[in-house]
Amino acid sequence: MIEAEVKKRLGSFSLDANVSDEHFICLTGKNGSGKTTLLNLIGGMLTPDEGHITLNSKEITKLPIERREVSIITPDSCIPHLDVDRHLVWGAKRKGLNVEHDYMTEIKTSLGIGFDGKVRKLSLGMRERVALATSLISKPELILVDEALSNIDNHRDFIDAFRNLAAKAKIDVMFTTQYPEDSSQADHHYRLEAGKSTRLF
Amino acid sequence: MFLLLYEGFGPLRDPIGYNYEVFRSIELTLISSAIAAVVSVVLFTPLSYYFARNKNSIGETLSDIPASIPHPIVGVAILVIVSPLTPFGKFLLSIGINFFDSVLGLIVALTIVSAPIYIKSMQPFFQSMNMAHENYAFGLGASKFRTFVSVVLPNSGKGILGASLISMSRAMSEFGSISIVAYYVLQQPFYGVNPAPVLIFQYYTYYGLGAAVTASAVMILVSIAMMILLRIVKR
Repeated sequence: MIEAEVKKRLGSFSLDANVSDEHFICLTGKNGSGKTTLLNLIGGMLTPDEGHITLNSKEITKLPIERREVSIITPDSCIPHLDVDRHLVWGAKRKGLNVEHDYMTEIKTSLGIGFDGKVRKLSLGMRERVALATSLISKPELILVDEALSNIDNHRDFIDAFRNLAAKAKIDVMFTTQYPEDSSQADHHYRLEAGKSTRLF
Repeated sequence: MFLLLYEGFGPLRDPIGYNYEVFRSIELTLISSAIAAVVSVVLFTPLSYYFARNKNSIGETLSDIPASIPHPIVGVAILVIVSPLTPFGKFLLSIGINFFDSVLGLIVALTIVSAPIYIKSMQPFFQSMNMAHENYAFGLGASKFRTFVSVVLPNSGKGILGASLISMSRAMSEFGSISIVAYYVLQQPFYGVNPAPVLIFQYYTYYGLGAAVTASAVMILVSIAMMILLRIVKR
């Protein structure tokens, strides 16, 4: 359950957003509407001027990124020099989690990761698959996906698979998308317009 | 530079300028400058990263000071540190640490004068690095130290190599501080060897322009080789 009531001014832009939901949350809005700013506030890359953020009843407003249990994925997110298999377990290793072989196989099959090699040499879509899978395996409480689903082939099927895996691991997901129809695959839908958020369902 | 090469190997050529002593002194300069660059990499890569990610104007100004003061002052300062006139100097000498006319002193001086160049080269490299990688690693639960070691450093090889070569080139051209700290080295395997810039100065005062220009031309060839290497690395 993510609850955020935040205000942030960045130059002439001002964000005033209110989100309170769980499971699979879709965030839509035009370029410059504040989607990335909101995700950066929840992820810890930015600090709100006013307001608070709680995740599963724990106050995280002022926690550093690494202590929030929030993983943020943009199209550039990856650890470039690692091989795919080492990348997939990198986050889990940092947290001392044991990754079962069967779980790893399930994730790789469901998310279409049937390739190997250095992550920096993969195509954008392949890299995004690996980054999203790595986040799932590291079991954070919330995954923020900033436009990192759009470059994947058959992305609607991928969203379904990703949503099922996240639900099974009890991880909330908040994702932005440039395709408004993607919201039909979400449990909740928020729209941002000029920094103001509206809950559509 | 080309004029020196032409004159040094042409009209003003003096065989003294490329005798065994010159090559020994270039060897000393290359080795001590390379070690100074390695010391900068080890000690100042984390600091450059810190400056790139955090605003710290006091720290940055302090790190610039060695580059902005006359370098003989750096030499004098190093001598004060190990002077038997000070308690700290006495202590260092009692445990066998001596900077005066030693390879260690030469390396310390070269590190002090070239480290600001290294930091100034690494800082923009780190600033230009995509922060999405680091934020992603933090989000996976990695600490700042772990992220620096396991995410930033493995992707910084080219930047570190380029910056250390620039810093090594700067160290090779140093004269002011080392002419005070280590005019010559009184330690094996370089007993009695002058660093190359000091030797060129000495040749000028002893033998005149011809020997100095020829020795300079030899040194310039080495510097050109370094610059070519730097270009290749930076591609």
